[in-house]
Amino acid sequence: MLQALRWVVFGLVAFLINFPVLVTLVTSFKTPREIATNPTFWIEGPTLANYASVLTITDRLNLWAYLWNSFAAALIGSLLAVLLALPAAFAIARGRLGRHTLLPLVVNLRAVPLIIFAIPIYMGFQLVGLLDTRLGLGLILTIVNLPLALVILVNAIEELPVELDEAARIDGAGSFAVLARIVTPLCRPALTTAFIFGFITAWNEFLFGLMLTTRVAVPVTVGASFFFATAGGGVQWGLAAAVMIVAALPPMVLGLLMYRQISRSLLGGALKG
Amino acid sequence: MTAGMSMTQRTEWAVLATPMVAFLLLFLGLPTILNLIYSVSEVRFETLRSPTLTGLQNYAAALSDPAFWRATWFSTRFAVVTATLQCVIGLALAIFLHPLLRERSWAVGILMMPLMVAPALVGLMYRLVLHEFVGPVPHYAYAFLGWSPSFLSGATVFWTLVVIESLQWTPFAFLLFHMAYSAIPAELREAGLVDGAGPFDFLRFVELPLMVPTLVIAFFIRFIDGFRVFDNIFVLVGSGPGGSTASLSIYIYESFFRQGAIGRAVAASVILFITSFAVLWVLTRLAARRKS
Repeated sequence: MLQALRWVVFGLVAFLINFPVLVTLVTSFKTPREIATNPTFWIEGPTLANYASVLTITDRLNLWAYLWNSFAAALIGSLLAVLLALPAAFAIARGRLGRHTLLPLVVNLRAVPLIIFAIPIYMGFQLVGLLDTRLGLGLILTIVNLPLALVILVNAIEELPVELDEAARIDGAGSFAVLARIVTPLCRPALTTAFIFGFITAWNEFLFGLMLTTRVAVPVTVGASFFFATAGGGVQWGLAAAVMIVAALPPMVLGLLMYRQISRSLLGGALKG
Repeated sequence: MTAGMSMTQRTEWAVLATPMVAFLLLFLGLPTILNLIYSVSEVRFETLRSPTLTGLQNYAAALSDPAFWRATWFSTRFAVVTATLQCVIGLALAIFLHPLLRERSWAVGILMMPLMVAPALVGLMYRLVLHEFVGPVPHYAYAFLGWSPSFLSGATVFWTLVVIESLQWTPFAFLLFHMAYSAIPAELREAGLVDGAGPFDFLRFVELPLMVPTLVIAFFIRFIDGFRVFDNIFVLVGSGPGGSTASLSIYIYESFFRQGAIGRAVAASVILFITSFAVLWVLTRLAARRKS
């Protein structure tokens, strides 16, 4: 009896929290005429026409360009964060370097509203020509990702037996060799988690995409809102819905594939913070 | 280990950490300094390279702007309400659903889905969900109640946004509680039941106290994210009817981009910066004192 009630609650909660995505998904399969007359969950004449037209490149809107911008910037933002965090995490975990200064400082960055830095970054980017570039956006997404990447990697390295390092050092290996040959291969799961989680975070970022790009490097979170502001005849809901589903899909798929690792690292990150 | 560390080894550690530190100095340290300079200067987009010092005028402008205080109040209220809701509901769900989810991680995965969707996209989706002609929520409200509130008008918009934020982020709090609750050893539970404690006594006197640290952390994280909220509100209603939904992040953004009030926006940033660090510093000290 209680177990049945649990299933009911679970189903209800799952439906409610995923409600906007479900509504958007249903709408994306409706024809414009049906959207105007039938706002229910039932689809009378399912169609893929919305997807076909949003994935077709036109002069005005190019979804592929937004997707590519998001992909490129998120790739830079997640890869660079891991590359910068790994050696630093090694120095923090094994060399106790900045264990009580650098680590808490970086970790606390997660709790600081990043808009604080947005205006000088905007002005600096303007000076050096990084405004509206995928590289510029990727560099800022690196900052967004660094704290959690560092926490995940420090935790992972601290879990490795220190005897492995010491054995390698007795064989004459220096810190760089230990990092490259012992620590990096053994940390591969943590590196993957940090990378995937960073990629999802970067893909979903909006504020810096909005501020730092205008035309060339617009990411899909920002570009999706353009589909709401086009044409004179109001919003074309079918197209907008298809765009939102396409934009939300990559992180959802990654998240589903990785949710066990991600939930564990979320918890690890939370406890360290 | 530290005592026996050789000079070369210490250099090696420093070299390993240098790229990250340099990157942080360039992208956060330098902007902080620029913030401080611009906040005491008169600056326009044409004079970015040669700001003229003016003292504390920008701070005075920000602190005497009613919109600044309204945004501060909005952010605070939004953060407290959403963090509380998410923690209460998340905790209740984690405990109630625990027997169901213990062996079914796929079910946890379904509850995690909202965390993977960009808040900006979720905000856009609610334009559809709440639309009075094509949205299902007004449609079903009319069908079943014969009446539908206007969700984004001045009277209701705050609570609409609270619900939107909470529906997306309660899973985060839930997930932390689920993992903390699952980590309570089964022997403890069995021992408690053998001692004759009822399940509710056990929950109240043993399990909930064990969850308190997680509860504090979850509330803190959700409070921070609620306080700096931007994406979903911005795409759905902007600064809202009469600026009523401008969070501090939206206030700074609009001061800068829409009104071109660079000095005021930067001064507000610095105020937010100092407040954040002061709060974090106090919390870190408190945590350290509790540990020792």
